[in-house]
Formats: sequence, C-alpha cells, structure tokens
Amino acid sequence: MDGFSYYNIFDTKGIEYLVIIAFLLLLIPFWLVLNKQVKVKEQVSKSLGVLKAAILNIPQGIFYSRNHTWAYLGKSGTAKVGLDDLLLHITGEVKIQQLKNPGDSVNKGDLLAVLVQDSKSLNVFSPISGTIFNTNQVLNLKSNLLIDDPYGKGWISEIKPSKWVSEIASYYLADDATAWFKKELERYKDFLSINMQKLSPATSMVVLQDGGELLENSLSDLPDEIWLDFQKQFLNQV
Amino acid sequence: MDLHRRDFFKVLGATGITLAVGKELEAAPKVKNDLEFHGILYDSARCKGCRGCEYDCADANGLPEPPPNKDIKGLRKPDDKHRTVVNEYKTSKGIVYAKMQCMHCNEPACGAACLTQAMTKTKKGPVIWRGDKCMGCRYCMVSCPFDIPKFEYHSPNPKIEKCTMCFETRVQKGELPACVENCPNEALLFGTRRELIQEARRRIFEKPDLYYDQIYGEHEAGGTCWLYLSPVPFKEIGLNTSIQTASYPALTKGFLYSVPSVFVLVPALLLGIQQATKKDNLKNESEDE
Amino acid sequence: MNSSHIISADNDGKSIRKFLLRELKPKGKWLTPFNIISIPIIILGIALIIIRFWKGIGAITNLSQEIPWGLWIGFDVVTGVAFAGGAYVITFMVYILNMKKYHSIVRVTVLNGFLAYLFYAGALLLDLGRPWNVINPIIGNNFGVSSVLFLVAWHFLLYMIAQLIEFSPAIAEWLGARRAHKILSGMTLAAVIFGITLSMLHQSGLGALYLMAKEKIHPLWYSEFIPILFFVSSIFAGLSMVIFEGSISHRVFSDQISNKNHKAQHGIIQGLAKICAGTMFVYFFLQLLVFIHGKHWALINTPMGYWYLLEIIGFVLIPMVLFFYSYRTNNAFIIRLASILTMLGVILNRLNVTIIGFRWDMAVRYVPSWMEIVVTLTVLFTEIWIFRWVINRLPVLRESPKWANEEKALQKPAFGDKHQRA
Repeated sequence: MDGFSYYNIFDTKGIEYLVIIAFLLLLIPFWLVLNKQVKVKEQVSKSLGVLKAAILNIPQGIFYSRNHTWAYLGKSGTAKVGLDDLLLHITGEVKIQQLKNPGDSVNKGDLLAVLVQDSKSLNVFSPISGTIFNTNQVLNLKSNLLIDDPYGKGWISEIKPSKWVSEIASYYLADDATAWFKKELERYKDFLSINMQKLSPATSMVVLQDGGELLENSLSDLPDEIWLDFQKQFLNQV
Repeated sequence: MDLHRRDFFKVLGATGITLAVGKELEAAPKVKNDLEFHGILYDSARCKGCRGCEYDCADANGLPEPPPNKDIKGLRKPDDKHRTVVNEYKTSKGIVYAKMQCMHCNEPACGAACLTQAMTKTKKGPVIWRGDKCMGCRYCMVSCPFDIPKFEYHSPNPKIEKCTMCFETRVQKGELPACVENCPNEALLFGTRRELIQEARRRIFEKPDLYYDQIYGEHEAGGTCWLYLSPVPFKEIGLNTSIQTASYPALTKGFLYSVPSVFVLVPALLLGIQQATKKDNLKNESEDE
Repeated sequence: MNSSHIISADNDGKSIRKFLLRELKPKGKWLTPFNIISIPIIILGIALIIIRFWKGIGAITNLSQEIPWGLWIGFDVVTGVAFAGGAYVITFMVYILNMKKYHSIVRVTVLNGFLAYLFYAGALLLDLGRPWNVINPIIGNNFGVSSVLFLVAWHFLLYMIAQLIEFSPAIAEWLGARRAHKILSGMTLAAVIFGITLSMLHQSGLGALYLMAKEKIHPLWYSEFIPILFFVSSIFAGLSMVIFEGSISHRVFSDQISNKNHKAQHGIIQGLAKICAGTMFVYFFLQLLVFIHGKHWALINTPMGYWYLLEIIGFVLIPMVLFFYSYRTNNAFIIRLASILTMLGVILNRLNVTIIGFRWDMAVRYVPSWMEIVVTLTVLFTEIWIFRWVINRLPVLRESPKWANEEKALQKPAFGDKHQRA
C-alpha cells in the first residue's frame, strides 16, 4: 500500500464468495444429518423387535374401548376414533377399508371399517354412536401413517357423537388404561400359547422368543383361523 | 470453472519457482521492482497551450481532429470524441494552461466499480478499458470522482472513451505515450511515479516562486499516476480540490467486507429461529387437538 | 373492472401441451379501462425501444456524461426493487416466524416479487449500452468481485431463482404435476432462507452502489449508512405495496377468493399496518442519527434542506402516525391512505438519492424525457398484464386443488409423539 506499486484491497473477495457457496451447500446436508440422528435412536429401540408393555404408546387423555379402538373428543365437537397402539404392534402393517361415508349414522358396536392384511382381515366396530363427519382419506396413501401415528394422523373416522357422555363412561382412561393394556398384553400372550398348541412348533418360534418374550407383528405370520379367533376374543366386545 | 483451475496452477507454479529460486533472491540486495507504477507529470508552468497533445492523442487513437483554436469559446471538457483537452485559464498570475484527462488513480474508483473488469488498473500504472468485456452499464461514470469516462450515447455499440496513457499501443512496447513524445516544451514527463514525485519536488524546491507548493495527485483519491504542477492554486486551473485523500473504493470496503459475514450468520440465525418457533407451534397444535 | 374471467380448471396431469395451448388464449373482455390505456402505451414503448437499439441510448433519453444514470435506473430498478421487498418480509413472517395468519397472501406476494425482479432486470437490459455482454459477469469473462454492482447483479439472478422455487408449487398444481409438487414443496424453506439473506444484501447493495459518488450526491442524502437506510425502508416499502396491491386485487379478482380469505383480509392489513408503523418508527430514528452524525444542520435552511424535511416529515413521519392511528381505530381507509403516502415517500427517497440529489449542483438539471417515461410505463404495464394472466390461471388467490392440500397436511408435525408412554 505504498502508492507506488499495484495493490488490491479486494483481492480475497473471489475466494470468499466461493467459500460462502460451499458453506451454503454444506449447510443443507449438515442440517439434515443433525436432525436424522434423533430419529435413528428411536428407530433402533423399536426395531429390536420385542413387544413389551413398556414400549406401548398410551396417551393418557384418550378413551380406550375394550375392542382396541379409541375415541377422543376435539374442541370443535367432533370426535376422532381409531385403533390403539397395541393392536397395531400385534398385526403389523395393515390397510383400512372404510365402510361408512360422511353423513352416515353409526351406532356403538356397528361395523365401522375393516382392517386388511393380504387375504386376512379383522372387523373394527365403532366405539361411539353418532354421525360420520369425515373419514381419513390419506390413510392408505402413506403406508406407515397408521403405525407411526395411530392416535394422531392415523385416525380412522371423525364422528359427531350423539351419546358421548353415557358411552364413554365405561371406557378406560389414564392410569386405568395403562393397567388394562398390561393385562391385555398378558392375555394375548396366553391366547397365543393356547393357539400354538394347535400349530406346528416351527410357527411358534416365530411368535415367541426363546425366553418367552413376544415378538413384534406376531399376528402377521399366523394363519386365518387364528385371526378369526383373535377377532372373537379381542375385537368383538365394545 | 476455468478461473479456479488457472489460479490453482498459478499458485502451484509460483510456489515451485519460489522454492527453487527464492533463496537466491533473498540473498541479493533489494532490486527496484520494474513493475512499479508509471505515470506522467504535467507541468502547467511549462505548458504553452499549443494543444499539440490534443492532436497527437486524436491521431494515435483514431479519433476525429480537435477543433482549431479559433473555434474554441470558453472551457471544454473531454467527451466521447476527445480524450483530452487543454483549457486556457485567466488566473492571478496571468494566463495558465491546464490539460484535462484521466488521472489514472492508484486505486481507481472505476476499476473497483466495473463488474466485468473492463476498466482495470494495469500493474504498470495506466487504467485501461477493454471493450470485449464492457456491458455499457456506466457504473464507472457514476463512481469516478473526476467524471472522466465518457459514453457514446449515440451509438448502438457504444464505447467508453478515456485516456489510456497509450498503454496497449505504446507503453507496453516500451515507447512513450503520444502526448508526451511530441510536447515542444517538455511540459509532459513520463516515468515511474516515485521518480516523478521526486522530480516534481525538485522543481518546486529549485523555483519556489514559480510553483504552487503542492503536487496535485500525490494524495488525491489515494494517489494518482497523473501528477500536476501549477504556478497557481489548483482550483484556479479547474482542478477539483474537494477530492478526498482516501481512495474511493475504500468507501465501499465496509459494505463489501461485511457481505460474507452476513451470508454465514443470517441463514444460521434464520434456521435457528424457524426451529424455535416450530416447536412452539407444535405445542399449540397438540393442545388444540 | 372485468369479473367475467373464466377460472380455468387445474390440469390433473393430463396432456401438458394441449393444456398450455388452451391456457395461452386470452380470456375475458378486451375493452377494459386498463386495457384501453395500457395497449397504446405498450405499442409506443416497443417502438421507442426499437429506436433505442438502432440509434443508441441518447436518442430517447436525457442522460449526459455527468448524469449517466437516470429514470430507468433510479426508478425502475432502485425503486421497483424496494417495492418488491414485500416478498422477503412476508415469507420471513410465514415460514420463519410461523405467523400462519399471513399464509393466504404469501403466493401472490412472491408472484409479485418475482415478476417485479424479472421486469426490472429486463428494464436494466434496456439501459445497458451493450446488453449482449451482460453474460460476462456471469460466465466469468472476468469476475469484477470488487464491485458492488457485481454483487447486486448476481443476487438478482440468484434471488429470482429462489423466488421461482418458492412459487413453483403453484405452477405444479396448475400443471397437475404431483411428484414435482412434492419435491418443490420440500425445497421451500431452503429457498426462503436463501431468499431472505440475498434480499438483505441486495436491498442494501442498491444503496451501496452510490457510496463511491461521495461528492456527487447532496450531503443530506449521502452518508455511509445509505445501505442500512435502504434496507430498512425496503421493509415498509414492500409491506405498503402489499397492502396497496392487495386492496386492488381483492376487488378485481374477488370472484376467486374464498369467503374465509375475504374475511381474513382486514385482519391481515391491520397486522401489516402495525409492522409498518413499527419499522417506520425505527427508520425515522435511524435517519435522525445519520443526520446528526453528518453534522449538516446548516444545510436544512436551503431549498434542498426543505425538500429533505418534506421527505422525512411529510412522507415518513406522517404516514407512520397514520398507521398507528389506523391500527388503534381499526379504519381500513386510513391504512390505505397511509400506505399510499408511504409508497410516495419511498419513491421520493430513492429518486432523491439517485436523480434529484445526484449532481444537484449542476446548472442544467437532469429531467427525464417523455420517451423515458413511456418506456418505464411500458415495462410496468407489461408486468401487470403478465400478473393478470397468471392470477387468472394459477391457484394463487384461489384455493389449491384438493390433492395439494392433503399433501400439505401430511407435512405438519405429528401429534402424539410427545405423550406419555406406558
């Protein structure tokens, strides 16, 4: 900067701009990776494959019916209903066939939808009476919606209830619900061991680990007769 | 990008050569760098107003002949057909002539302004214009404190006209610029800026009554390669005396230096804010449901 | 105005070529007041542009060697871009601060911003002496990295791309391209963040362009803080334009807007008025600080000084007070009046720095020629034509098709993750 030879106060500008471009391009994958870390941990614990009561998702403000459906009244006056986490852990990935349309009326215990896996199916009965306000159209568009978010985006129907207070009086809530789920899990394990005796030993390996622990999605490997039996024992009483 | 690769090889080559030759150069005494700025000293005390430099300049650059003396009325400025003019001033010490042209600043505002580097400061000193790069945006004209670049407003393929110190045609080949070569009274002198300032100081020292005790261009705009000596204060011969002593590109330094910081901080900040407000939104939504 | 435009159905993924051909045909009446005024001006403007390319810029402008930048740069580019600032402010509020209330105006604002930059960059090409060399700073025929204009030019380019990405989901909905819609919607946040950063720098960059012209701009308007002042004023300039243009669109295209959005309009305008009032308050004090720092109080008592006071008090302070008042009294008319005054103030400020205050000391001042004004109007009217064409065909003011809405719902955060486990 002596005033007698060439100098440029902006000589690093070009490189600086290139560094900025590199920074912005790297920021995107950096950010994505940072967020993925969190999700990976959750995935790992789930995929260990054992179905225990501790991993069940049981929101404490939802009413649970004995047929493994739930109902939750929203501020707008309509209630969403769906399937509970335990049932979905047992069945694995399923598709829902809606049997009702908006405007139809439904009573508690009416057939609301059918849960389908390949050629097997289970009937879902409505936990409440009322008029169908809306049915979830995106359930079958995204395959994991039901399993990932059974109490949120995985709702099945939205019903305007006609007898909310009387009908939910008999349902489980909060601590009672948690206790009931633990018992249901044990009841299911017993159900399986009884039914195992009817099947070959090979199949029993699939559903029960050596130490007697229950594996995930146990029902998906079992034949139709067991599904029918499961329907009778677990999904028919509302 | 070719620029990137070229730079890389340049650096590689320079490193190699330095490693091979570097030690020798350090051992040798400091040789005067041949690549110092060269400039022109114009001494208006010696200028007789013959305007021969105007004709030489027009001739050397393929421009139309300047008007003859009898057609001139009042002061003129360089324009898109004349790169230099010589004006006659009535001053406190009588008639003094002053030649106007590009000042070839050390750190030219036009050079910093030009986004294609069409206006560029050569290492040797002159500031030149390269037509193949120019897009005619005229930002150089906005930035020049001396208002020198002239634009051909009436041409569909307009040029920028200004004095180039005959760089590409003469100086690069080791010859003198056209105006310097034929000045009858040796009012124009070509040399390194260092030498010119020494010569100017010498002249002032030897004839203190003849000269105004200042060299115009020594500090103006951070220093220019075209220097003026004058018998009267510079304002009287039409030179702009409100030019600042810092260079003009330094005025944009604050802004341009902060650009990378903004580019790094703001996206990170925005991402952070977005994450923070997203969580709040989630809580609100889940309470509503 | 004409409300008999037939709103086209969205293309549900069917043949795109036939669809586009159908869409290119004009709809609605031909002889609306706007059309009657704009068509002759546009034709005249095109003729003038041809003359400009044939005979040089000097043939139709009043530019000179001392005043190289005139109306086209001072108004079209500098002022126009300030008004397009609504896009980055609104996207900041909706996508970064998650203010869902303004979601319904994001698309139309981004569209406006994109068209503004497109047309004002186009107007810039008219002002260039050698427009074919404009690719030089892009392809690398020497990158003039020391130049503020280099930065501004590149930012314009990148920002137009960012805005296009932000707007592209609307185009995908119009063409029925579902997969493209999904991908583009995912890129919105990145484009928004990039766009806001770019905007901050080039709004202030337009001011920084004049930093080297230190002695040429009147001291009351020249300071080292021009970039910051330009940036802050672009915020309320953009929002005022959103209020102004929103009021017009709501009436002209009212048949497209859902009832819900109609009712929400007033709340939106009020919210924007509040933000404008706050920003103008900050701006006023910034101007005061700059004024004190410059120590030019002696200059207030000159004609230019009075002009400066008019700009600051008449067109910054008064609209600010009106915005405050309208927010308290809930009066939509006053909000609109205040926004018009604010816009005039921004135009005045930008013209003061670029044309009026630039070489204010010359004996013969620069006045734009009528031809420059006609070309400016041509650019403006053509932009409005394109805007109208887009609004009538794409889901900008009206609701998106159902499949797009479902997709948007799926992208919201999941419910139930945070609840207690057994």
